[in-house]
Amino acid sequence: MTPQEEVENLIARVAMGDRAAFNRLYDRTSAKLFGVCLRVLNDRVEAEEVLQDVFVTVWNKADSYKVNGYSPMTWLITITRNRAVDRRRAMKLPPAPIETADLLPDSKPGPEASAVAASEARQIKACLDELPRARAHLVRRAYLEGDSYADLAEATGVNLNTIRTWLRRSLMALRECLSR
Amino acid sequence: MTDRITPPDGPEDEDDRVLAAEYALGLLTDEERTAFEVRLDADPALRAEVITWDEHFASAILDDVDPVEPSPQVAKRLQTLLFKPQKESFWQQIWPYGLGGVAAALVLWLTISTGVITPDGPVLQPDLVAELAPTPDGDGLMIRASVDTSLGAVEVVRAAGQPPEGRVFELWLIAGDAAPVSLGLLDAGESTVIDLPQEVLALLPGALLAISDEPPGGSPTGAPTGAVRAAGPLTSS
Repeated sequence: MTPQEEVENLIARVAMGDRAAFNRLYDRTSAKLFGVCLRVLNDRVEAEEVLQDVFVTVWNKADSYKVNGYSPMTWLITITRNRAVDRRRAMKLPPAPIETADLLPDSKPGPEASAVAASEARQIKACLDELPRARAHLVRRAYLEGDSYADLAEATGVNLNTIRTWLRRSLMALRECLSR
Repeated sequence: MTDRITPPDGPEDEDDRVLAAEYALGLLTDEERTAFEVRLDADPALRAEVITWDEHFASAILDDVDPVEPSPQVAKRLQTLLFKPQKESFWQQIWPYGLGGVAAALVLWLTISTGVITPDGPVLQPDLVAELAPTPDGDGLMIRASVDTSLGAVEVVRAAGQPPEGRVFELWLIAGDAAPVSLGLLDAGESTVIDLPQEVLALLPGALLAISDEPPGGSPTGAPTGAVRAAGPLTSS
């Protein structure tokens, strides 16, 4: 059984109320999901509360998983990221500053472009590496740390409409790359 | 970064794929998100686009984020939160009424023995009685049970209160630590007489009577399934 099949199988059993499967799913995925919470919230106590909330949702909503079209880890990560981002916004956490160096114009692809991995899971990273480095950094801040347009404007000192235009263009370019 | 000087309204503003990405990342304003979700419900292609973005972002997150062990407290809290019974058990629900019932029975016994009231009707010569005090789920219920052990019958009089719509009351005997034994269903009318088998009669003194609400026809499991509405101990009359 692949790790993906294993997680999928565990979610299916959790949907039937199998507590042992729930505990195994927790053991199997909680460290990764906690890493996601911490990345967004940067606070262990808050991150643990969100993690707990996520697993309560998993226990209650596992039966909706099989019809939602997601792969198992994506389902778990998406729930976790979105909960953590909601918490971050509710707490009105100030965004981490973005170094000027990260925003300097740079027409060359980022440093990791040469090490493009072939696996499908790394496709988006390869495509991010095709973006100007500063743009890729903003996109990473958005998906990895849950920054909003307002957060990115505050962190960079660039006005919000400009940030939005940058990010939308980057997402467009990313999508074009991903569908190649 | 020459595009910094181009007008803000580029072709990407019209593109649902970009909108789907913004939705997936939580970048839309509340109004934009609501409008997008209305379309999402009606448009499977748009939903597929959101899923595609979520898959890509999740795979990047999976790759970028290092696992960190949460404290063991999280797992413990989850066990308590999800797997400990939320609702009080049958026993937790009835135990306070053991004592309250003793007091009520004592009052009833004093009232009867001092001749203030006499038990209804000559049907039974009760030697054991129970005043069933309402639980928090049984507000307004007034139920008295009188047992005639020589006749082998219990009369249950419901002076006030009704079962919830579409439910019936079921009478249970709890003797010591044994599981509740069903004695039967209460009639819709005020008074119900239930015959008691010989093996039940021996268990009665000191035992507890309880009323739960159940689906029509009674508990499907042989144990109380609905809320306990009233309970009280049997005492000598």
